[in-house]
Amino acid sequence: MAHDFEISLDFEACKGCGYCLEVCPGNVFDPGGVHNGKGYRPPVAARPGDCLGCQGCFMACPDFCLEVLRAPGKG
Amino acid sequence: MDRLSRKFLRARKIPGTACSGCGLGQVHKRILLAIEGLGLGKDDLVWGTGIGCAGRQTFNTWLGDNFAGTHGRVYALAAGLRMALPRERRIVLTVGDGDAFGIGLKHLLNCARRNLDLTVIVADNLGFQSTGGQYGPTTPPGAVTDSSPYGLDEAGWLGPDLDILEILRAAGATFLARHLSLDGQGSVESVKAAILNPGFSLVHFIYPCVTHFGAVSLAERDKGRVLAWFREAFGDGPGEPGGGAGEGPGPRVGTGFLKFGRGVFHSAPGSRPDYSEQVKDWTRKMARGQGGGLATGNTP
Repeated sequence: MAHDFEISLDFEACKGCGYCLEVCPGNVFDPGGVHNGKGYRPPVAARPGDCLGCQGCFMACPDFCLEVLRAPGKG
Repeated sequence: MDRLSRKFLRARKIPGTACSGCGLGQVHKRILLAIEGLGLGKDDLVWGTGIGCAGRQTFNTWLGDNFAGTHGRVYALAAGLRMALPRERRIVLTVGDGDAFGIGLKHLLNCARRNLDLTVIVADNLGFQSTGGQYGPTTPPGAVTDSSPYGLDEAGWLGPDLDILEILRAAGATFLARHLSLDGQGSVESVKAAILNPGFSLVHFIYPCVTHFGAVSLAERDKGRVLAWFREAFGDGPGEPGGGAGEGPGPRVGTGFLKFGRGVFHSAPGSRPDYSEQVKDWTRKMARGQGGGLATGNTP
């Protein structure tokens, strides 16, 4: 299914704070199970189709590692 | 790195040295969004940093010119720069609560008194967290910290009847605002207004510290719950201020000290002259041999 938005997450830059999970009104994220090089477990954008494009996760991410982009062909 | 950090920050400095869950990056991001929204670039702005969590996280991250001050003295350095640089060159300072409202308060007040065209962003984590979690001038009364094991029993600058922003307004600041680091576009607009104000501006951001304030004062290590406490304590939630950190021993801080209004606290652009512009005018006159007294505009 084509999504309106894509979640771009820099896996190695993430410190696993989980704030994106806390603020997301669409329940897009799941806790991650894989460690990155720093030993943190970044979350996973498991349900990008539920993304409302509110940018709440982008505003909450303190480590400049997450952004919400318009999906290709979605303007 | 995201789009914003690629555009404005040095790649080797991102992600920064802040702890996981530290809200400093949220403050940092809002400043960059304001800069982007105003259409400014790296050559339009000089970025100064203080000492402590806020200074360390933002030090030398800006792609343009940077400078760092000793603890509480970055305002004095910025005052000199303000008199040397043209008005078009903005100066933004990112400092902490201890730097601005503790050791550097007198320098800060003197900048406000002179209404120097500076934008001071105070990133406040409610104590001296980079040195291990000692209480500071904005630590809530009653808070258990490393240096107040039985609860802080002195008044701070964030009391119900004692607000540091009132003091800065009385000292002559012409733009003041307060936000939580999680605030949305409204906080970006406040930073924009602060940068545009041709005088002394300060935006006070309160942000979550998980490692010390959360773990010791809130007795809570879960980052989501610490974040929830900050959101509730500073006005998002309907609950009693000082409560709501979830299960466990509960917050070891007093009550009745938070719930501040967020947004613009004071805005009076152009109501007072910027002393640095007066100095520049006077210097130009002296250079042309038209000396005479310095007309300050501040005298009645």
